[in-house]
Amino acid sequence: MTASRTAGVPRQKGGPSASPSQIVAFVTFMLPIGALLLFWEGVVRFGLADATILPAPSMIVVRAWELLNPAKAERSLLLVHIGVSLWRALAAFVLACLVAIPLGFVLGLSTGTYRALSPLLSLLLPLPAVAWTPIFLVAFGQGDLTIIGVCFLGAFFPVLYSTIQGVRGIGVHAIWVVQSMGAGPLDLFRRVLLPGALPALISGLKLGMAHSWRTLVAAEMLAALSYGLGYMIFAARSYMDVSTMFVGIVCLAVIGLLIEHVIFGTLEKMTVARWHSSGKVRGTR
Amino acid sequence: MSADLAKVLPMNARSKPKIVAKGIQKSFGNVLAMEDVTLSIQEREFVAIIGPSGCGKSTFLYLIAGFEKPSGGELTINGNAITGPGPDRGVVFQEFVLFPWLTVLRNITLGLDIQGVKREEAEARALKWIRLTGLSGFENAYPSTLSGGMKQRVAIARALTYDPEVLLLDEPFGALDVQTKNYMIRDLQDLWQEANRTIVMITHSVSEAVHMADRVVVLSSRPSRVIADVRIDVPHPRDRRNPTMHRYEDEITAILSAEVDKAMSLERQIR
Repeated sequence: MTASRTAGVPRQKGGPSASPSQIVAFVTFMLPIGALLLFWEGVVRFGLADATILPAPSMIVVRAWELLNPAKAERSLLLVHIGVSLWRALAAFVLACLVAIPLGFVLGLSTGTYRALSPLLSLLLPLPAVAWTPIFLVAFGQGDLTIIGVCFLGAFFPVLYSTIQGVRGIGVHAIWVVQSMGAGPLDLFRRVLLPGALPALISGLKLGMAHSWRTLVAAEMLAALSYGLGYMIFAARSYMDVSTMFVGIVCLAVIGLLIEHVIFGTLEKMTVARWHSSGKVRGTR
Repeated sequence: MSADLAKVLPMNARSKPKIVAKGIQKSFGNVLAMEDVTLSIQEREFVAIIGPSGCGKSTFLYLIAGFEKPSGGELTINGNAITGPGPDRGVVFQEFVLFPWLTVLRNITLGLDIQGVKREEAEARALKWIRLTGLSGFENAYPSTLSGGMKQRVAIARALTYDPEVLLLDEPFGALDVQTKNYMIRDLQDLWQEANRTIVMITHSVSEAVHMADRVVVLSSRPSRVIADVRIDVPHPRDRRNPTMHRYEDEITAILSAEVDKAMSLERQIR
């Protein structure tokens, strides 16, 4: 009752402590997940599913705890796998951004170049980056270079495409307005092109990181030598260790979710969402 | 003071030509949009340019702004050829073109920010135009929270704050509903007097042109030429019910209708 009443009141500023409406949102988010876990546990416990193929959530938690090895955190196998995977996905993502964002601005601004390259883009954008893995394996062998290379391609095209769309969506009048104020190329970029492309750019970054993370698993299965979540899942099949595979899957899902919501969610709240919500109370007066 | 003088003195006595267009031609591909536009706009004169839709009125404004280049003819400001956009000419577009990531105040001070004016000074200079456009109290709002009329006030204040010699208005009320538009025209009457600079306004509304401008220039349909140049000899502030203004409106509407009829019948013949 109190929760729903306060939830209706627009908050001026998001403080660090969780508000009742945030708690409600969290509970609504967790409820279906909790229900699924309970159902799953029940199905395995009552013998409706084969535990050697579908282990119960409780068994997965126990296995995760063993792998995590919290007593000796510095030698925690699970943390090493997670760390290596995160490093590869992030390195690929950052490299992809470093190339794709500047290229996206060039292609977004130059209609001629865009026309020339757009058929190539339309061909490469929907292509799953994993398809390149065997070729990279032949070229570079197993290891980080191949994995990061494949993830780079996974992240590259969504970031490039979104940057181009963002820049092209700005419209010539916005550019004219600052040019008639005497803006040079640097001001134009800093004050109009960058902030103007930002909403599309952020969704591109989100998509790029998600693609990098997804591509990573497959690339690690094929090309990793010793570590990484994809490697962990794939290696566990030799021992029929289904619980470890599920631990890997859960880690992939949870980390993917955290990256999307915590990192990019915060980025969006700081920029795009702010332009369209705050000041509303005052502006409609 | 000088604004009052300008109201009293006859047009030809008060100033020198600010913008001069001689035989301006403009073609897009093989379509000739402008054939021969010749026009002289005096310093501190408010000129409205009107014409049938698609006649290239806005293109003419973009040529003055320096966003586009004429295909032929001569276009000068203060006797110098226009080569590109510059801070001596401020532009207001029909679709406002505000920057959603800047507050109202930051949108308005943008021109001064770009010119490297200190923030306090920029805000102080913006204050006058914020007040005159009726935006006081909205300084910290983001554009997405404003109505269309308010957005256009921001765009007008933004163009005036960096103090251009010429203000170019591209159908400034074209995107607003009729009530808002009429209210804005009445409400901003003093603003143009206070701004006291050369203003060129593109419009498709005769009453808007007659109500606001010192002079109304009528362009023909494409390829455009100047077909009429009417001085509106009614002192500001003007009253909508003034019978002299109705006579001007009727005169210009007649010229414009004849031109539209001609263009339409020509179009039908081609089909």
